[in-house]
Amino acid sequence: MNSVLNLKEIEKRAFRSTYQDGLWDIYYGLVVISMGFFIYHPKTGYSWINIAMMVGSLLIAYSLFYLGKKFITFPRLGQVVFGETRKQKKRLMILFISIVVSFQVLLLLATAFGWKLGFSEGRLNEHLLVSLIASLIVYAGMTIITYFSDFLRGFYISFLMALAVFLMVYFNQIIYAVAIGLIIVIPGIVLLVRFLYRYPLIKIEDHHE
Amino acid sequence: MSENPDQTERSNYSSIDRVLHEPARMQITALLYMLESADYTFVMNQTGLTWGNLSAHLTKLEEAGYLHIEKSFKGKRPLTMLRLTDQGRDAFRAYAKNMRSLFDNFPV
Repeated sequence: MNSVLNLKEIEKRAFRSTYQDGLWDIYYGLVVISMGFFIYHPKTGYSWINIAMMVGSLLIAYSLFYLGKKFITFPRLGQVVFGETRKQKKRLMILFISIVVSFQVLLLLATAFGWKLGFSEGRLNEHLLVSLIASLIVYAGMTIITYFSDFLRGFYISFLMALAVFLMVYFNQIIYAVAIGLIIVIPGIVLLVRFLYRYPLIKIEDHHE
Repeated sequence: MSENPDQTERSNYSSIDRVLHEPARMQITALLYMLESADYTFVMNQTGLTWGNLSAHLTKLEEAGYLHIEKSFKGKRPLTMLRLTDQGRDAFRAYAKNMRSLFDNFPV
């Protein structure tokens, strides 16, 4: 036990312990890989097959996350309902996300109008601009979520996700999404294996408290 | 009539909550104070106490009226949710206040 009783630190440590299973890393990595299916094909445009594949793979990613939490994490780590501090942070996060998303929608609309009116012609590389805007949208949202959810690994994941979006949109190649997705997934798998060793399943017959 | 200093000191010592003044129980209470509720496994993992040890301390906290223990089942697995009662929260705050005042004039 620590010599100093720091209640905020105790709460933070308890909250961060829920990230030890690596499931968020795996989920975010799979989301990045899924985004690769939504890549724009210059000749055919966006195909319904691609959209269906992306939605399908996102559903698979979420199902894996949900089932992992339910059958792997909760029985080993236990269940917890966090107090007012965490609820306050969640409310703040929603507020900030709403502000950022509103700003992003305005930015997108302004960009779209700018193109329609021909403001960007000859001055900006459209493709580069779209790539930058898309990656900034992802980065801003993810960073806010990461900050308010005390998910420290989320900062590099946010950066990698934004990089994946930028490269994918700019070069129009699926390989960037897959490669960066794997860079996020692999540490998650390592953490999951470590978690399984560290927290063995407690047998039901031991519950005679 | 002014109070005898010895008596004041004795009363300060006796105001220490003995239920909470045990390191393991203080650790459990401090954790639960910052949470709404948590199950047995979570508290065990966070405190590093063994199953039996934790059980003994929880019983003491429950007997003092500081802890509410709710036993149920989630699927086939037993689920024991732990939550500090209002009395437990008040006692923890009072304990912290007492300890601070006790060492107020401690020469360092």
